[in-house]
Amino acid sequence: MRPAQAILQGVLCEVHGESLRVTGTDLEMTVRTTTRVEVLEEGSVVVPARLATEAIRKMPVGAVTLTSTDAEVEIMGAGPRFSLRELPVDEFPQLGEVDFEGAIDVDGDELVAAITQVTVGASMDSARPILTGVLFEKDEEGVRLVATDSYRLAVRKLEGLALKESGLVPARGLREMGRTVGAAKMQFSIRQREAVFGSEGGSLTLRLIEGTFPNYRQLLPESYPNRIVVAKTGLLDALGRASLVAEDHIPVRLRLMEGGVEVTVTRQDVGGETEHLPGEYQGEAEDVMIAFNPRYLTEGVSAISADEIQIEVSDGLKPSVIKGVDDDRFTYLLMPVRI
Amino acid sequence: MAVEATILHADLDAFYASVEQLLDPSLRGKPIAVGGGVVLAASYEAKAYGVHGGMGGHRARELCPQLQFVGGHFVEYQRLGDQVIDIMRDFTPLVERISIDEAFLDVAGSTHLFGSPPEMATEIRRRVRDEAGLPVSVGVARTKHLAKIASQVAKPDGLIVVDPQDELEFLHPLPVELIWGVGPVTKTRLAEKGVTTIGELAVTPSRSLEHILGRAVGGKLFSLAWNQDPRSIQTTHRAASVGAQSALGRRPISTELSLRTLRHLADRVATRLRAKERAGKTVTVRVRFAKMQSVTRSITLPAAISATSILAEVAHSLVTSALTDHPEEKFVTLLAISVSQLVYEPALQLELPIELGDEQRRPGTTAGAARWALDRSVDAVRDRFGRKAVGYASVSLSELGSIPDEFRELAEKDG
Repeated sequence: MRPAQAILQGVLCEVHGESLRVTGTDLEMTVRTTTRVEVLEEGSVVVPARLATEAIRKMPVGAVTLTSTDAEVEIMGAGPRFSLRELPVDEFPQLGEVDFEGAIDVDGDELVAAITQVTVGASMDSARPILTGVLFEKDEEGVRLVATDSYRLAVRKLEGLALKESGLVPARGLREMGRTVGAAKMQFSIRQREAVFGSEGGSLTLRLIEGTFPNYRQLLPESYPNRIVVAKTGLLDALGRASLVAEDHIPVRLRLMEGGVEVTVTRQDVGGETEHLPGEYQGEAEDVMIAFNPRYLTEGVSAISADEIQIEVSDGLKPSVIKGVDDDRFTYLLMPVRI
Repeated sequence: MAVEATILHADLDAFYASVEQLLDPSLRGKPIAVGGGVVLAASYEAKAYGVHGGMGGHRARELCPQLQFVGGHFVEYQRLGDQVIDIMRDFTPLVERISIDEAFLDVAGSTHLFGSPPEMATEIRRRVRDEAGLPVSVGVARTKHLAKIASQVAKPDGLIVVDPQDELEFLHPLPVELIWGVGPVTKTRLAEKGVTTIGELAVTPSRSLEHILGRAVGGKLFSLAWNQDPRSIQTTHRAASVGAQSALGRRPISTELSLRTLRHLADRVATRLRAKERAGKTVTVRVRFAKMQSVTRSITLPAAISATSILAEVAHSLVTSALTDHPEEKFVTLLAISVSQLVYEPALQLELPIELGDEQRRPGTTAGAARWALDRSVDAVRDRFGRKAVGYASVSLSELGSIPDEFRELAEKDG
């Protein structure tokens, strides 16, 4: 978050009825959380977010009291007392209430898991805004979450959900979901300009990214001639060992063949590593060679929830399809590295 | 810092002129100059008349009427320069080549194999003379700075060893211009303050040096005058950027001239990037106009590039934007390209065929991958048969003067 305005460095704390509502925003992403507190007096105050958070985190175990006095807010624990300069409440953006009308109910754990899987594929490069988002796309079966950074594409299906609109939601904000409003029961809705996610803990509002997401469906092949099935942990361990040598853009080579896959990495001036992983191979070719950026491959394999994964390959220049065995919910399409 | 004197600075004497005399025995013992309009290098016989590198040809003939100008055999300079460096590498892997004809060596680790540093220096001088036929001067000292000064004092064809106990006695009587970084301007400024020797520099209060020369330079010279130089030999210099420039004289700018020059520069820069297995995200161009005023433009791309044609196109669009912003400028005297934010890229990450509107500039797209494959083929042919063997039709291979690109590249140190 890089707020341009000073007020956005603060969080709005509103005490009302029996709860404390805390709101933080950078105008693209707004987080509201609600906590039950013992209310001594109702009121609102804006406190510097980072400092107040750290102050409360470092308090001794026990109750913490927030008190607003003249232009200062006191944070008191058993012993320590912080006096922090307030920020002006009337400068805090008027955000309006969160509207959950028409929102759909969803299993929160599955939603957070799906977002964690798919945001791996999103780009961090703000120069290509469209690729920094996750497409929430409605289709006949439910919702598809899709992200790509142009090197890989991650697709996750959430079946049985009836979304009204599709929208491109910033991955940066979605990555915050688990630790802000993530809960077992959640609801969400995609509107014209924003996406809202809510639970009993609060809400997360994300302004949609404008623009047209690439036509990704044409990228997903119907079927591939060569396929290997290996244990996920075995492959991840092998990639971990290969990465010891392969840091810094060195490709890791896979040779798919009868009986398994050979994982090889070599680095000029350093050395190399090679190993054989047992697996079931089916293919037209006797063996297939393909090379990947080890980080991209590791991130994709890690995102798969199944114990056994399958890698489908056409040839060394076309994208591979990586997914869990007998699990069509998550697909990771990865472009190889040309050696 | 080493306690013993184990740093060698080896500098070939009047290198280009010596090579010419080696190639043509009739030139030996005679005052000659390499070059034409300008003296690129003068033989010691010519230097005796006051002729020196950088001097106008006309002035040189005035000083030395019998001076003979000879054409530069640049390919031979490079071959012999490389041969001499290879001789040095027989003594230690720690060889830092700083130009075509000079290098630093750290021989601390080889003394058990080849004897003391002065013995190695003597042997290097003998082998360079016997095998390459060239005179070389060597300075041996505890620091790079002092070794370099010693080799200058040793010229021509000499060896000077600075004993660690006698460093300041050696250094202080010498003229200030022997210090690295003291050029004619600094020398004049110092002379105005009555400072002509390194010893005088050493006793000038550092504050007044900073006043005359600026804080950074003043402080550095003061340290060097007291022989404080902690730099070590750098053999694995990792470039932060790779660049090339082309002086155009004074030419009316046109799209055609800009494109042609930039393609040529991009060819050199991108080839060097690929040879190092690097690619860069940021492209910067510099345009110098007739009144010496320079403007720069730069762009940071989504993915690092090393393809010749992509670099040329990006540079051309940057130059075009700089020219558009300065419609009053009609002449351009220099164009330069540099690529920075380098990453190690031994292989090409391919991209999914999605349309984002900048396919031509992205290295991993179908178009980009085709260019990558083409560049690799060109590089492979050039590695075997030389740079002129193959190239882009749009890059006229020898248009920018008679100096071969291989030679330019020795002079273009990546920084």
